[in-house]
Amino acid sequence: MKEIISPIKNIAKIKYKERSFEWWGPSPDEARAIQISKSRELKDKRTNLRDAVKKLIKDGINLGIGGFGDTRIPVAILHEIIRQGANDLTLSFHSQSMAPELLAGAMIIDERITIKRIELAYEGYELLGLSPLFRYLVTNEMVELDDYTNYGMSARFKAGAMGIPFIPTRDHGGSDLELVNRGRLVNCPFTGKNIFLVPACHPDVGIIHVQGSDMFGDCRIFGHLCTCPEIALASTSTIITTEKIIPEESIRKYPNLTEIPFFATDALIHQPYGGYPGSTYGFYWFDMKHKIMFKDICEEFRRTGNKKKLKEYYDEYIFSCDTFDDFLNKIPYKNFKEIKELDDGQAIIL
Amino acid sequence: MAEYNPFEMIAYTGSRFLEEGKMVVVGTGLPMIAAMHAQLTHAPHLSMIFEVGTVAPILDHGMPVSVGDTKIASRSCYVKGLCSVFELVQRGFVDYGFIGGAQIDKYGNLNTTLLGDDYSKPKERFPGSGGAGALAANCEKTIIIMALEKRRFVEQVDFLTSIGYGDGSPDYREKAGVMGSGPYRVITDQAVFGFDERTKRMMLLEVAPGLKPEDIQDKIDFELIIPEKIKNMEEPTAEDLRLLREVIDPHGYFLGREIR
Repeated sequence: MKEIISPIKNIAKIKYKERSFEWWGPSPDEARAIQISKSRELKDKRTNLRDAVKKLIKDGINLGIGGFGDTRIPVAILHEIIRQGANDLTLSFHSQSMAPELLAGAMIIDERITIKRIELAYEGYELLGLSPLFRYLVTNEMVELDDYTNYGMSARFKAGAMGIPFIPTRDHGGSDLELVNRGRLVNCPFTGKNIFLVPACHPDVGIIHVQGSDMFGDCRIFGHLCTCPEIALASTSTIITTEKIIPEESIRKYPNLTEIPFFATDALIHQPYGGYPGSTYGFYWFDMKHKIMFKDICEEFRRTGNKKKLKEYYDEYIFSCDTFDDFLNKIPYKNFKEIKELDDGQAIIL
Repeated sequence: MAEYNPFEMIAYTGSRFLEEGKMVVVGTGLPMIAAMHAQLTHAPHLSMIFEVGTVAPILDHGMPVSVGDTKIASRSCYVKGLCSVFELVQRGFVDYGFIGGAQIDKYGNLNTTLLGDDYSKPKERFPGSGGAGALAANCEKTIIIMALEKRRFVEQVDFLTSIGYGDGSPDYREKAGVMGSGPYRVITDQAVFGFDERTKRMMLLEVAPGLKPEDIQDKIDFELIIPEKIKNMEEPTAEDLRLLREVIDPHGYFLGREIR
């Protein structure tokens, strides 16, 4: 199929570098070879965050971040990654708010974390405003970007999960996304019409928070699935935190409820409140106070260049904590009480 | 006539364009309020969809504040994920999509990505497409909500994130490989715009009572098509305002804000 350029080329005024195509993580062939080489044994995957991150998070990896906005975001895993450090990361996600900002803040105050590239559809706080650190990194040319639509990124994870190198989508064409990202407009051999192909995305490591899992890593997700099942299957390894460990018998009784299967889970950590201060359907709503506090600290750094408060946040809530439970211990009980009440016990089956 | 604020006018106007029995992709904020108003008045069987994976929720669980808000998923008919929703959009199950942006041009193209002229060195960086690019491409009709300001209604967008009618050529969208029919209405608190069928250029359709077409043109950087007959924007009645203020958004999360 020959690459075509739509009439966007006649009107685009944006300058951009022509990039020759490269995979920003494992290629589909590499991802398959890694998968083939792995054990699929139905075994106990339970471990702790320190060991899971030490084993799987390496410099230069593509990190696929699960959740959407601040829903079911893998905060506990991110805290541990920040404590242990990782350089030259590529981040992949569709829409995120706080999760990439946590990594960006660690990059700014302490170069234990460095983000090299981000492939994404959206980074921002929706009605609360722009993401200060994302703005800072991008306008200071500190990260390379690859922009898609939310469907583009989701479809890219889905292509990865399907074991195909690309997936056709009916969007991106005719916009500047067609020019700047790594997808391509082609002529469909069947309809004769133009269609946009996005390359598969295989994170080296997917990081996902779920409501329930058995000890083998058969996971249930309630509320929005976001693109978590696809990310888990596309990634060459997946770290899962779960609010609850559920009995194997329950999984076997209702196998239709399993959204991520055991063979896609590499490490499983029982971590209640693992998505806090984001929300987890059926357990807790967002802690808006904590979210806004973090965002305001980031914004103050962006405006003034003064890292003091940002550094204090990381020292207080991440570096001085050995475990995520130590972080949770620093949050007043009334916050947990409030966010539990705001969730109001939405129906889940665990 | 009852007093109303700009947000109430936008929500009420958005509601007017939604039809009974259709499906509309909304975000949190005014689009969601508009759809809820339509459900309580002329379109009780209109279904909302949120791009994160939820179809046809009843939002009686407290006001959701973000698209990923867990409150959206409860009491819906179908919850999956992003792939599912955008595939429903591609497949043709979705009639309307509400979108917005930092800039819009005369052909209804939107920018939510950046300001400046260089992708790797932008002067300002916005969040990015999110779902908007996909909704602009494949919802059958898109309804755009904007603040009416000269810096937003520009001759040409710095970055074309969400496709409108491109350069206005009749086959632009077809060559782009997208399927929806394109921008349908642009709603502001002071005017409603559509697009001229032949030239695909933005056209004034309605102005708020008390305003003249010139007042609107003054706030726009490109030349509008101004037909001879312009309607007055319908104003919300006391009952509409009661629904908006007491039933839909009683805490004023979205309708009580000061205009920025």
